[in-house]
Amino acid sequence: MVNVSRGNWPMDQGQRKLVKFLERHLGLLPVTQEGNDVNKLAIVFYSLESLSALDELVCKKYHPYKSWLLKHYTTWVDADGRELGGFVGSLNLVIPGVNSLSLANTLFALVCLLTLCESYEEFENTVAPLRKPIIKFIKCCQLKSNGAFVSVLNYQSSEPSPVDHHDLRFCYIAVSILYLLGDRSISDFQRHINVGKLMEYIMAQRCDVGGFGEFGEPHAGYTSCALSALKLLGQLDQLPNTYKEETIFWLLSRQTSGEGCEFLQEGKNENYDALDHGGFQGRENKFADTCYVFWCLNSLQCLTPEWTQFTRTDLARSFLQSRTQNSVVGGFSKNDEDDPDLYHTCLAIAGLRLTEGKFNGELCIPLALSDKFRL
Amino acid sequence: MTDCYDEFNLEDYADVEPLPIVTGLKDELCQIMYSEEYKQLMGLMRAFLSSNELTPRAMRLTARVIAVAPAFYTAWNYRFNIVVAIAKDRLDQEFQWLDEVTLNNPKNYQIWSYRQALVENLGQDLTLRGDLPIMDMMLDDDTKNYHVWSYRKWAVLHFKDFTHELSFVDKLIDRDVYNNSAWNHRMFYMKNVSPDDRTIDEEITYTKNKIELVPQNISSWNYLRGLYDHFKPETGHKGELLKFAGGFIDALDLNATADSAESLPEIESSYALEFLASEYATEGQLQRAKNAYQCLALKYDPIRGSFWNYKITTLEA
Ligand SMILES: [Zn+2]
Repeated sequence: MVNVSRGNWPMDQGQRKLVKFLERHLGLLPVTQEGNDVNKLAIVFYSLESLSALDELVCKKYHPYKSWLLKHYTTWVDADGRELGGFVGSLNLVIPGVNSLSLANTLFALVCLLTLCESYEEFENTVAPLRKPIIKFIKCCQLKSNGAFVSVLNYQSSEPSPVDHHDLRFCYIAVSILYLLGDRSISDFQRHINVGKLMEYIMAQRCDVGGFGEFGEPHAGYTSCALSALKLLGQLDQLPNTYKEETIFWLLSRQTSGEGCEFLQEGKNENYDALDHGGFQGRENKFADTCYVFWCLNSLQCLTPEWTQFTRTDLARSFLQSRTQNSVVGGFSKNDEDDPDLYHTCLAIAGLRLTEGKFNGELCIPLALSDKFRL
Repeated sequence: MTDCYDEFNLEDYADVEPLPIVTGLKDELCQIMYSEEYKQLMGLMRAFLSSNELTPRAMRLTARVIAVAPAFYTAWNYRFNIVVAIAKDRLDQEFQWLDEVTLNNPKNYQIWSYRQALVENLGQDLTLRGDLPIMDMMLDDDTKNYHVWSYRKWAVLHFKDFTHELSFVDKLIDRDVYNNSAWNHRMFYMKNVSPDDRTIDEEITYTKNKIELVPQNISSWNYLRGLYDHFKPETGHKGELLKFAGGFIDALDLNATADSAESLPEIESSYALEFLASEYATEGQLQRAKNAYQCLALKYDPIRGSFWNYKITTLEA
């Protein structure tokens, strides 16, 4: 089924452009990026992770920036004298007396450290002093009411921020950080967070037709977060088999087709384009979008080792390579019309590598990294 | 005396010692070429956050900072604290401000959790009515915006007010019968209002009409099957629904085994065929189910061919 003759992604003109596109994002950024200042580590993460997945020698080239990255680690001591630790998205958020720790940026920073550290020992030595404070921070992000996670705490206390959202993304991020910091078994996780409550929340996000989402509308992004978290927690077997099967079918059905009866939508469904054949959509009756190739395929690989036989990964690859990659600048966009952006470029590379068996989907890092760091 | 909702004016901060932002480090990645305005604003904001001044001028500063950097989560958190401290009796104005920010940042999700925090913590006297204009406006502009739909469902449950929802989704489905979020909201509504049998029968008729309009529509089919699963589990999918689905695959003979796509006729909906296949499978009409899956693999949904073939093997086991 998979078109083996295409093989792995070639080191060609396209890849050189792509590398340049990514490296440009790590350099001097124009004033228009000011709005992303507070989440600057997201830019660093998408760029370094992508370069690493392209087998660029990230560690060698960017190792000198490790100390700058570590400056984003900050701690906050709460009224009870507990020291919470984590990363902030920008050094401008290191403010005396203010708790601005960010769950997402903590994960971004830890993955960046994986790309920058030369050895397992170096990574271990780097994170050892951060481990306890980060775990305390994560613990504080879990809501007592429903077991879900928020991503930031109140700037004046260690309570969850009253204005933050809680959802499956942040649940996944919390679990993923704990995994990177060494939690492997359910009892490891249980020592740090309330796994039972978290499981209740994740299970409550299941939808009637399969998949996971808020208030019953399944969403491939949330589905990937839920399944990856369950896989890292070792709890996938808590899902009933019928539910797994429904979810597999729901995910396979997100691959958009220009053939058969699907083509009957042409000219009627304003969110249908037969030329998106082989791409993936995030929800029913939406256009295909680059990032959902990864979110859907990663969800599938969590559910069944036979996922490559069930889905046309060859068509998904050509959707990315021939339709959403920009041949001029090398990056990927969400569809065939928009300008390429860093997020979709990273997710496209992740999707391509996943289909080549070179990506650890549930940790969202190249397989070479998870092997190197025994993850 | 200036007020919480006046325009931002730098002169009001002349006495404040800013906490300058960090720039021009050695070995720094993603160095942003900040504008002078940004440096000034962030320098002030950092100083205010640090001293935690809860005043009208602090509130005006948060509005300015959020306009420049809507993703700055600490600024939202800070503003919320200021509102609680000095402006909680002026929620009207806070919502007015928030509506404007919302219209300018349709993809930001922070605005909805901020709104939720205001309603939950300070909105004892509010009703769903206050939230309707901005939600309607946002969904009119982007009919499948996930954050807005999520907030809408949260708000409807919070205020326990379902009175506007059915006519609202009617309108959206009339506008785009493929809008999955609208169909989903319709199911959310039905599950929450405990409808009687007559209402469900009317819903079934309504949905069948929408399917007849465009038979190749996953959203309306899912909704129809959901109605039966949820409200008529005892009757199953038998009888009239099998007949209804059969109407879209008229020309196809499921008693015959197909061997090539060319030999198969055109049908109107692969979802009708898939529904029939799964019903035949549960009823034990295995040969018909297999034939239906075979047809899906060969002609009507070839991209999922290997999955349909796998379904056939599960029937043979
Ligand atoms: Zn996308």
